[in-house]
Amino acid sequence: MQPLISLRSLVKNYRNHRALDGIDLEIMPGITGLLGPNGAGKSSLIKAVLGLVRITSGTGTVLGHRLTLDGKKIRNDIGYMPEDDCYIPGMSGVEVVHFAASLSGLPNIEGLRRSHEILDFCDMKQERYRAIETYSTGMRQKVKFAAAIVHDPKFLILDEPTSGLDPEEREALLQRIGVLCEDARKSVLLSTHILPDVQSVCDQVVILSNGQVRLNKPLTELNTIQAPTVEIGVDRPDRDFIRRLETQSLQVAVLKSGHLKVTGTSLESLTEQLWQAAAVSKVMVLSLKPAMNSLESIFMDTVAESNKAAREAVDAG
Amino acid sequence: MPVNHLGYRPWKEKLTGSLTRWWCISSSGISLAQKSALVKRMLFAAWLPVLYWGVGFFFIGQALEGKSEFLPATLQEDVRQYIDQMPGKKREKIREAEKGANRLVVAALLKQHFKRIPQVGRLADGLESGDESTARNRIWCWLMMSFFRYPQGLMILFLVGAIAPSLISRDIRSRAFLLYFSRPIGKTEYLLGKFFIPATFIALVTTLPAIALYVFGVLMSPDLTVILSTWDVPLRILLGTVVLVVPTVSVALMFSSLTQESRFASFSWFAFFTLGHAAWLAVVFSHALRQGGAIPFKVDIMEKAEVKRWGLLSLYNNIGEVQGWVFGFSTLSDAWAGLLVLVLITVVSLAVIYRQISSPMRV
Repeated sequence: MQPLISLRSLVKNYRNHRALDGIDLEIMPGITGLLGPNGAGKSSLIKAVLGLVRITSGTGTVLGHRLTLDGKKIRNDIGYMPEDDCYIPGMSGVEVVHFAASLSGLPNIEGLRRSHEILDFCDMKQERYRAIETYSTGMRQKVKFAAAIVHDPKFLILDEPTSGLDPEEREALLQRIGVLCEDARKSVLLSTHILPDVQSVCDQVVILSNGQVRLNKPLTELNTIQAPTVEIGVDRPDRDFIRRLETQSLQVAVLKSGHLKVTGTSLESLTEQLWQAAAVSKVMVLSLKPAMNSLESIFMDTVAESNKAAREAVDAG
Repeated sequence: MPVNHLGYRPWKEKLTGSLTRWWCISSSGISLAQKSALVKRMLFAAWLPVLYWGVGFFFIGQALEGKSEFLPATLQEDVRQYIDQMPGKKREKIREAEKGANRLVVAALLKQHFKRIPQVGRLADGLESGDESTARNRIWCWLMMSFFRYPQGLMILFLVGAIAPSLISRDIRSRAFLLYFSRPIGKTEYLLGKFFIPATFIALVTTLPAIALYVFGVLMSPDLTVILSTWDVPLRILLGTVVLVVPTVSVALMFSSLTQESRFASFSWFAFFTLGHAAWLAVVFSHALRQGGAIPFKVDIMEKAEVKRWGLLSLYNNIGEVQGWVFGFSTLSDAWAGLLVLVLITVVSLAVIYRQISSPMRV
């Protein structure tokens, strides 16, 4: 499978500040989550991919187009939803989407028809005829999303699409992203700080820190724990039950949810030992499932490691 | 769920070429600008002078055809007085060769009513020495130039001031840059799109009425052969529009690109336009007073070299100088300084705009 984005040694300097520091990255079809703390270089990376900023050095291709030379071709095939509010005062919601369609090259009448169709898809009702300055944050997010997909791009870059949305709208937007990916075979780069969003829709995760790619792996691989570990829900966290497990050389951790995370040497012997200890301690097992890594802990560990390396580099320099 | 909800459907049709996408920016900007009641009133007011100039075309057309009974009685009296004052040979010529002398009648009218304007004096002299078709061409050009120069030249100040200053500043404030530049739109297309918004309105109040006046003038003529002697007038109108549009819109857009607040851009535009002209007028008045002349002073004082060079301070004056050349009432050697100033203003303005519209992408 060909990567959609392939970047080699990408560097972007803003005067004395290095925003992107030798990025090597391949993004495959599917939904990719782009994570990173503030100032990690996410926005610079997105602008570089869109051809909006001139890169200092490096090469790459985006959807088969050359990174620095084919900016317009790249932007023709990409739908970009920026984090910031961007609208033209005086226009209504449908006019903004229609304008975006016209800028992308849709014929006038067909662009208007398509704008209405996409606003229906985004669950935007009669409020589409109101001036956009009067919109709530959620409505503006919907209009931005509609403007990003109105020209049917192959690849979507969504920058903080769920920020400012209530839980219901957030769920609906993530569902729309899923529909685009599964039914319309779109690929998505989702830049966000909201880790549960990544956990719920993404296939791949890229973590950026200090202008470098620190992690680029499929989410399934990240979720899988190397040592056999299970998460067990019991009717009461019994101390005798935990002590029995620990005496059998099993590692036990009590989670915030009250469940126990138990790690052993092999999955078969681990479940056997668990059932036996529960029977002896007279504890009722309510749930038993293989444990997964927490994306939050992976993110925190990766960023901490990156910061430590950066500090060491400064000290050495 | 609405009954027409189709879910997400892919788009299979062909996209239009990138060469025309700048027009999307222009057309949306035009439709936004025309929502303003102020702009609508200005457009209405800007068409009123056409009636006055239409009357001018009518009377001059009739005078050239020798139908002096169409002229108001006061004008007929002026013509009679002027002819009576002429030297004997010239007077006889007018009375004997009725048709050929009509241009002399028009020249007489012009000299009687526009004594203070040297350009009109030169026009009248030209009419006296030329033939009828040249006379028609010269008169039409003069009418067009005065239409561009006086009512519409001032109307542009207000029209550009109402439309252009918000065009880029509004995009900076609302971060609409991302909406444009995340599409296959470059800086040149963006600038072209923005440029044609005020340019279209200027054309609506200058080019369109001027062309309408030209058509009116042709229809008022005895036959369509007048087109052969006046074919260059529409071209001069188009070139005159370019001279008017390019520097004014460039400067106004430059001010717009320098601030997020369109009112500051509007203020800067009016200040730039009026202060430069006021400075020049101050020089003219001071010269007139020093020479002990009465106010209103003779317009030919503006033709003096030590006064004329200060005219470069005024955008309005420079545009007038170049339009004088475009309509054939001065030579390039008279207008080159004004032309150079206009080119410089335009180049600097465009360079500033390019820099300013790149900067939001740098952060």
